[in-house]
Amino acid sequence: MKYCLLFCVLGIMHAQDLGSDGVWLPNPLADLASKVPSNAAVPFQPWAKLKFQENQAKRQNDLDLRCLPPGVPRIMLMARPFEIVQTPNRILFVYEGGAHVWRQVWMDGRAHPKDPNPNWLGHSIGHWDGGTLVVDSVGFNDRTWLDDAGHPHTEQLHVIEKFSRIDALTMRYDVQIDDLGAYTQPWGFSSSLSFRPGAKLVEDICLDKISK
Amino acid sequence: MRAAFLVGVWVLALACVFAQQPPLAKDPGPFLRPSDFPEDKVPKAVAGPAPHLPDGRPDFGGDGAWYPGFNGNIAETTWKGVKSADKHVDVPFLPWTLKTYNERVENRAKDDPEARCLPVGVPRFMFDPYPFQIVQTRNQVVFIFEGDNYLWRIVNIDPNGNTHPKNLKPTWLGDAVGHYEGDTLVVDVIGFNGLAWLDQAGHASSDQLHLTERYTRTDSLTLKYEVTIDDPQAYSKPWTASNTIHWRPGMELMESICQEDEKSSIHMIGK
Repeated sequence: MKYCLLFCVLGIMHAQDLGSDGVWLPNPLADLASKVPSNAAVPFQPWAKLKFQENQAKRQNDLDLRCLPPGVPRIMLMARPFEIVQTPNRILFVYEGGAHVWRQVWMDGRAHPKDPNPNWLGHSIGHWDGGTLVVDSVGFNDRTWLDDAGHPHTEQLHVIEKFSRIDALTMRYDVQIDDLGAYTQPWGFSSSLSFRPGAKLVEDICLDKISK
Repeated sequence: MRAAFLVGVWVLALACVFAQQPPLAKDPGPFLRPSDFPEDKVPKAVAGPAPHLPDGRPDFGGDGAWYPGFNGNIAETTWKGVKSADKHVDVPFLPWTLKTYNERVENRAKDDPEARCLPVGVPRFMFDPYPFQIVQTRNQVVFIFEGDNYLWRIVNIDPNGNTHPKNLKPTWLGDAVGHYEGDTLVVDVIGFNGLAWLDQAGHASSDQLHLTERYTRTDSLTLKYEVTIDDPQAYSKPWTASNTIHWRPGMELMESICQEDEKSSIHMIGK
């Protein structure tokens, strides 16, 4: 019985394993609209639609080109590997490329701060729902885009990400975008991440490429 | 006889080169107000024994963050009017590194890559005023930094020695491989691009730089950092710098994105 319990506990722990000794590579998703069901459309507020069209026309608006952090969820959708560093009270996402930044998800049961300082990667708290890691993020500035295509958002942005490891090499990545400042209702999409066992991150400093 | 003569000539020539080395550039003096260093206003916590992980490895984490303080010169005990490194070092400069160092001190570090949001680099991370945390897993030690550009640094643990990948691409932070020696984390770093400054003052290095870093948490509030700088293209022999890094209980890292509205570096014109 004792061993059975131990086995069961280990089994659950295994299910909540986000992968070590390797890196995750997003299956690149440039335009969230391509993943929205065909009978629906991105529920833009009128100004946000205009802003999206402007972003499409003016690629120089893309702050990623100036080595600023891509924001959430875009940073999880670009063709740049990242590593997940998993500890009991905190999960780190460590990103190769771009601005060489990291992101943290608090797993210790804390709440979001009441009035978070708006920033590029937000304030993230998480919990396990069975084998799915649920990450709730707020506190974003309004300068990042949701994707390469240029979907805008406001400081009201609230993102819920669900990471479900469906097998050793694949993670399902479901996202809900909740930003009534830019969209009339919450909307979402699904994507996936691939695991590369044994791979390591390399240093890739964005500014090296634009400052020479 | 002829060989002895040639050796003599070389010794004389070298002596001349070194005799003609210019003096070290002087400390530019205080440039910040004492109130810019609120160290003394932080309530003093009582140190306990250094914590350990369940398997006995030293624990470099906890509820708080490490704060190195402002240590502008890794070879001087005071710099710009405040405490700097733990000990003075007579740095074994080669002529080009002395010249470079003097230029950087005298022109007020106008070309400092860090001021352009490029990575601070190693060992400067452990001497600059940016809080950081250390997250340990079974096979890695991850450093996360608040300042500079919200960077991370991964040290891969290799209990069997310091095996670096072959044909390393030169980088700002180098390739770091570590192991534990009792309560000390020892990190071996090579594969640098030679562009980062070793400190804010401007000690230079080449792409042949090889660092041996030693991290020891001597009590719950104290991290002793020692780094041996071995770079035959920049210094005539290896030398060692050190710093005492203090734990700030309860401190969390904020997001700090250097590249955000970066408008300062164009004003760095030196003198």
